[in-house]
Amino acid sequence: MLELNAVSRSFGGLMAVNDVGFSVQAGEIFGLIGPNGAGKTTLFNLITGLTPVSCGDIRFDGHNILGLPPHRIATAGMARTFQNIRLFATMSVLDNVRVPMQAFTRAGLLAGLFGLPASRSQEREMLEKSMALLELVGLADKAGDPAGSLPYGARRKLEIARALALKPKLLLLDEPAAGMNLAEKGELSGFIRDIKQRFDLTVLIIEHHVPLVMGLCDRLAVLNFGRLICVGRPEEVRKDQCVIEAYLGASHAAS
Amino acid sequence: MNIALFLQNILNGLSIGAVYSIFALGYTLVFSILGIINFAHGAVFTLGAYCTYALAVGDFGLNGLLAGLSMPFRLPFPLALLGGSLIAGITGVLVERLAFRPLRAKGADALLALVSSLGVALIIVNLLQMLVGAEIYSFPSDIFGSLPMAMIVKVGGKVLAVRTVQIIILAVSMVLLVLLAWFMNRTRMGKALQATAENPETASLLGINVDRYIVSTFFISGVLGGLAGTLIGASFGLAGPYFGVSYGLKGLAVIVLGGLGSIPGAVLGGVVIGLGEAFLPPDYSSLKEAVAFIMLFFILLARPQGLLGRQTIQKV
Amino acid sequence: MSAFFDQYGFLMVAIVQQALLGMSLWYPLMAGQLSLASIGFYSLGGYIAAIMGTNPWFAPWREALGPAIYPLQWLIALIVSALIGLAVGIPALRLRGIYLALATIAFVQVLNVLVLITDVTGGAVGLFGIPQPFVSRLGYIWFFGPLLVLALIFSARLTRTVAGRSFMAIRDDELAAQAMGISTTFEKVRAFVIGCALAGVTGAMSAPFLNTWNARQSSFDASVACLAYVLIGGARSIWGPLLGAALLVALPEVLRPLKDARLIMNGVVLVVACIYLPQGLAGLLASLRRPGKEAGHA
Repeated sequence: MLELNAVSRSFGGLMAVNDVGFSVQAGEIFGLIGPNGAGKTTLFNLITGLTPVSCGDIRFDGHNILGLPPHRIATAGMARTFQNIRLFATMSVLDNVRVPMQAFTRAGLLAGLFGLPASRSQEREMLEKSMALLELVGLADKAGDPAGSLPYGARRKLEIARALALKPKLLLLDEPAAGMNLAEKGELSGFIRDIKQRFDLTVLIIEHHVPLVMGLCDRLAVLNFGRLICVGRPEEVRKDQCVIEAYLGASHAAS
Repeated sequence: MNIALFLQNILNGLSIGAVYSIFALGYTLVFSILGIINFAHGAVFTLGAYCTYALAVGDFGLNGLLAGLSMPFRLPFPLALLGGSLIAGITGVLVERLAFRPLRAKGADALLALVSSLGVALIIVNLLQMLVGAEIYSFPSDIFGSLPMAMIVKVGGKVLAVRTVQIIILAVSMVLLVLLAWFMNRTRMGKALQATAENPETASLLGINVDRYIVSTFFISGVLGGLAGTLIGASFGLAGPYFGVSYGLKGLAVIVLGGLGSIPGAVLGGVVIGLGEAFLPPDYSSLKEAVAFIMLFFILLARPQGLLGRQTIQKV
Repeated sequence: MSAFFDQYGFLMVAIVQQALLGMSLWYPLMAGQLSLASIGFYSLGGYIAAIMGTNPWFAPWREALGPAIYPLQWLIALIVSALIGLAVGIPALRLRGIYLALATIAFVQVLNVLVLITDVTGGAVGLFGIPQPFVSRLGYIWFFGPLLVLALIFSARLTRTVAGRSFMAIRDDELAAQAMGISTTFEKVRAFVIGCALAGVTGAMSAPFLNTWNARQSSFDASVACLAYVLIGGARSIWGPLLGAALLVALPEVLRPLKDARLIMNGVVLVVACIYLPQGLAGLLASLRRPGKEAGHA
């Protein structure tokens, strides 16, 4: 589904991501973990095309996606959420979910302006699908509210619904459990499994909360200082000496 | 091109470029600390020129409210220049208080600061127009005391005219640049200003009183604007209260060319545009006013961070 | 009543005309892009109409078409403005924020110099004696009025179409918009070109209205005025440009007793409105209609 080959990115001499390579199989839930500043979010930006790669190679669904603009990568079937939640804050909850669907519409500007049948049926279809997605995340009754007015947890859910609206094959979640309590984290875990089944997804997830990742993911990759130090099944990663030193050791010492 | 003409162009280009640089430094200092362009800078430039004129010459012409009046004293040009620039500096501080601080306190959209600074510019320019009228003022020929208006130098049999005002401009700019470099790199205040420009939040955490430094920046920026206005006024006359507008726009070209927020960039940008205008072939002289903007347009497309600016990394 | 129109007819038409210029900046702003290029396209459209109205080369056209020459002027202004807007917009809209604003300022300045040195535009003197289809200034409401109504309907519809939602998504968060499959470059250029076309047509209608046309039409002050209409009126409402233009165009008339000081008052109004009406007049009206509810989210 996704293959990274010797991917690197430097910012003014600092190697944020250094020679990283792994591949994610279709249908997997793949975790990306590592201490703060390890380069996880940068790697997400490289994969989704928001930041250009310095060198290396990224293949998605068998195609080389290097150098494609982000919107082309998105419509090719890759959707993401953001660590610091980036909704369209002044637009309605409904419009937030509707916007990504628009990438697949055909009727043009004039058809929309004059309310031609093509555009009307297209609008109706988008409305139905959007409401179904909002129903799924429990935000249907908030459809008309501005997205920026939602409470924190609801915004996280809306961001996932917005990503699903792109009909992705690969869903990238950047710390979806940030700021949630234990019960909510458990619920989220179930929710991710559920949407993976329902929409036939492959999931790539960045998460700090170790129990959640260990329980949820089929495989993990561990980054430290921009380098990949370990890839494997959760129980293998748990035993890996490098990981214990670099990540688990550090976080245990801190807590 | 013969050597005399070449030297003449260099001299003209450098002297006008030096004024552009001084003026643009005022823009760039404010931008580096607030990330906002102060569109009232052109008005402060005009005001400084008129104040120097008032202090040095003292007559207020025939059209404004002050028509027929004259100042009870005349200052020698250097003192008047200093006085006019200080008044411009104080105006800079007022601009900050009126147009920028209230918006900053509310965390308002940066677009609004653009419009409010333009509003203050309108106030300053129209106040000037009301007081002294829209007529053209020029400094009298004896403004520099016993110094002649220009010297004629012969180079290789050709004539080279060196205007006294050009020498003064070059001397003043040199002194200013040295002073500014010393101030920014050697004084506590200068270093604190740089820290604030680098990152206002961290600076305030480190106990730097950000508001105070913003006020100081606007004062320095105003002084630089007033100085530049006076020097241009002494070279070409004061062509009405609106004469700062075109220099204000040209100053934008200078700072973008050099790199927004970069101090060496503002100096380099001013010199490049000054020389660019001076070396424009006579056949194309009608395009002179467009040179800066053509350069601005293409530099933006090719290298938006300017010649000496740093590329900003977008945070995701 | 007719005395009222005699006195204020020009003012009313001027408000509608300036509101149209404000609208032309409103479209790029809807996509989060601050452009100050409108006034350049306004000038361009005006020159097209002025040249077609006065240049001897077009005499047979005027002869043959009669009053139909006006719609033709609008159409040509629209097409030329849109094409030049496309040519300028594609490279310029890669720039963000203040850089785009500066690039558009530069574009207008270069255009102004070109106009000054070109013969067909009349150089510094400009073109004058542009034929007028209406006897009274108020007549021009038949030019600008329908255009404003069309622009308002267009804007209102736009917010409920695919394109409009894409614009607003870019305004809210350009990066997220990209990640959600929006070609931000395409949409930004589209919003910009719509604005350019409207400014061009407004210019073409304005040349006969003002009777003369010269480089002063596209001064930096005029450019700022357009921006002020939108921001003071309210950039988030389709009514913003009209409200802003009504206030700022009528103000000098209301302040006429202040004589020279009224230009100073213009500046004061800009500053006060920026500080106390961050959502513009439209935001103020909305919050009055819904008392107690914070208008800040819009």
